[in-house]
Amino acid sequence: MFYIKIFFQYVAQYMKTRMQYRADLFVEFISDLLFQAVNLIFILVVFGHTNLLGGWTRDEIIFIYGFFLVPYALFSSFFNIWDFNERYIVKGELDRILTRPIHSLFQMVLERMELESLFGALTGIAVMVYAGMSLGLVISWADPLLFLLFVIGGMLVYGGIFVMIACISFWADARTSIMPMMYNIGNYGRYPVDIYNSVIRFILTWVLPFAFVGVYPAAYFLGKEEWLLYSFLTPVMGIIFFGISILIWNSGVKRYRGAGN
Amino acid sequence: MKDAITVRNLKKEFKAYSSRSGLKGAFRDLLTRNYKIVPAVNDISFNVKQGEMVGYIGENGAGKSTTIKMLTGILTPTSGEVTVNGMNPHRDREKFVSTIGVVFGQRSQLWWDIAVQESFRLLKKVYKVSDEQFESHMAHVIKTLGLEPLLDKPVRKLSLGQRMRCELAAALIHNPPLLFLDEPTIGLDVLVKLKIREFLKEINEKYNTTILLTTHDLTEIEALCERVVMLDDGKIIYDGALKSLKEKWGEGKEIEFQFLEEVEITDLNSITASSEVKWEKNDKEPIYTAIVEDNDELISLLIAKVVADLKVKDINIKETSTEEIIRNIYDRGIS
Ligand SMILES: Nc1ncnc2c1ncn2[C@@H]1O[C@H](COP(=O)(O)OP(=O)(O)OP(=O)(O)O)[C@@H](O)[C@H]1O
Ligand SMILES: [Mg+2]
Repeated sequence: MFYIKIFFQYVAQYMKTRMQYRADLFVEFISDLLFQAVNLIFILVVFGHTNLLGGWTRDEIIFIYGFFLVPYALFSSFFNIWDFNERYIVKGELDRILTRPIHSLFQMVLERMELESLFGALTGIAVMVYAGMSLGLVISWADPLLFLLFVIGGMLVYGGIFVMIACISFWADARTSIMPMMYNIGNYGRYPVDIYNSVIRFILTWVLPFAFVGVYPAAYFLGKEEWLLYSFLTPVMGIIFFGISILIWNSGVKRYRGAGN
Repeated sequence: MKDAITVRNLKKEFKAYSSRSGLKGAFRDLLTRNYKIVPAVNDISFNVKQGEMVGYIGENGAGKSTTIKMLTGILTPTSGEVTVNGMNPHRDREKFVSTIGVVFGQRSQLWWDIAVQESFRLLKKVYKVSDEQFESHMAHVIKTLGLEPLLDKPVRKLSLGQRMRCELAAALIHNPPLLFLDEPTIGLDVLVKLKIREFLKEINEKYNTTILLTTHDLTEIEALCERVVMLDDGKIIYDGALKSLKEKWGEGKEIEFQFLEEVEITDLNSITASSEVKWEKNDKEPIYTAIVEDNDELISLLIAKVVADLKVKDINIKETSTEEIIRNIYDRGIS
């Protein structure tokens, strides 16, 4: 309860600060939309010349991409921790966080949130509606609810993986960033699983379960019975992966060395 | 009264990595890295009572900040026991930190982009401080530290001194019974320093707040702390009253002479040859300083001898300053 209250306190503060720079907000909004549009065109070009790819039609692939954008938008709003190693470990900013009576990871999420990234979700939904209409998908009453559940699950999977990677900084003394590599790996989550071989599918399902951010949950809405089990595993995987990442984080914090001023 | 801080055989070691030279070395570093274990804090023990103000001093790299980080739960000790406010700082960290306030002079605890009052408001929520408590306590803090004109400015637009005063106020939002200050006045001007000093004295009297303070400014320690703990190379080399530190290691009295005529050190040495005196000449001014044992008899005898032989313009009797005592200890060690 306390954490929910604090969350909204931070969101309110964030809005207040952002409103002071209204021009920036507008520019960011536009550039974000442009970025999404470019992404969409890219997808259309890449998948445009084939109608069937690894068992998916062009519209299905676009739909999956649209779905992916939604948990990804949530993820980028709340797990804006690309520079964790540089900022919090090397520069020792974690000191400040550790002297406050709120869970350290939660504080970091609150401190670094970028709510503008949520616009990406709108783009994602627009893409899904577009692809869904050309596919003639019908929405049942439970779908919006499941959509929400899958989106949150997907975000937790993505967030969990990222937190685990960030935790490497507690053990290694590397000064270089591991995040760009992560970002590249993360991109695989957007594309259909079965165009890759079974080894990659295994990895994307059980090791770095990015498939739960895009393909598996989207498959449910596309009416793919063969992936049904995986679709419904999405929230479970989200909770498990994120839970594990918190445990790793907690034991990592014990090893925090600080910066020797 | 219960102790606010209990430290037993506390130790913190860091791994210090060294890289090998050359390309071949770099490749070998990839596989196994060379490191040494450096003890930053090496087996220290001390207690601090509720309401005490303790000065924690030592040279650069002595291990002061490392100790404070262990006492505040930021770092896990390598070994030893720490009990602060009845808790284990690292194990009970989230519960524990709401009973302490921390200021690190070297870095900001406040949010960079947010106006000062917004920071305070957010921290008030974080520490679950009630409105009444906040009003009665913080109104006073804000007034004493003169923060009214700064409240609506974002932290990044404040000067160092302005920011430090805000940091101090922020550390006190939940009115903690224990305050850790790591070089809180570094780089501040005299007026701000005095203001902060007065303020610390006041909250110590008013709320019986325990304060552990590190600083390289010894006048600050003299003004605030009766007790000092001196650290050298990770070990405590002195723990006790500042006064007895002076008595024990103060090198007696200094008597400054200014003469009307040209004088050589050798003259002075021959005049006072019969007693234990060390003469020093000031580099810039024609002032000669006699360092003698703190003994009234001896001092008057010395002055009598000098005055009988030379024409004196000015005489000044000084006690060796804490600054000098500490410098001597840093230079030569305690023994
Ligand atoms: N994170 C770290 N990693 C490695 N070594 C460290 C780290 N932090 C501190 N040290 C080492 O531990 C020793 C003590 O450092 P510490 O910061 O506690 O000194 P200090 O007494 O606060 O000095 P100063 O007066 O300069 O602030 C130093 O030798 C320092 O190099
Ligand atoms: Mg220090």
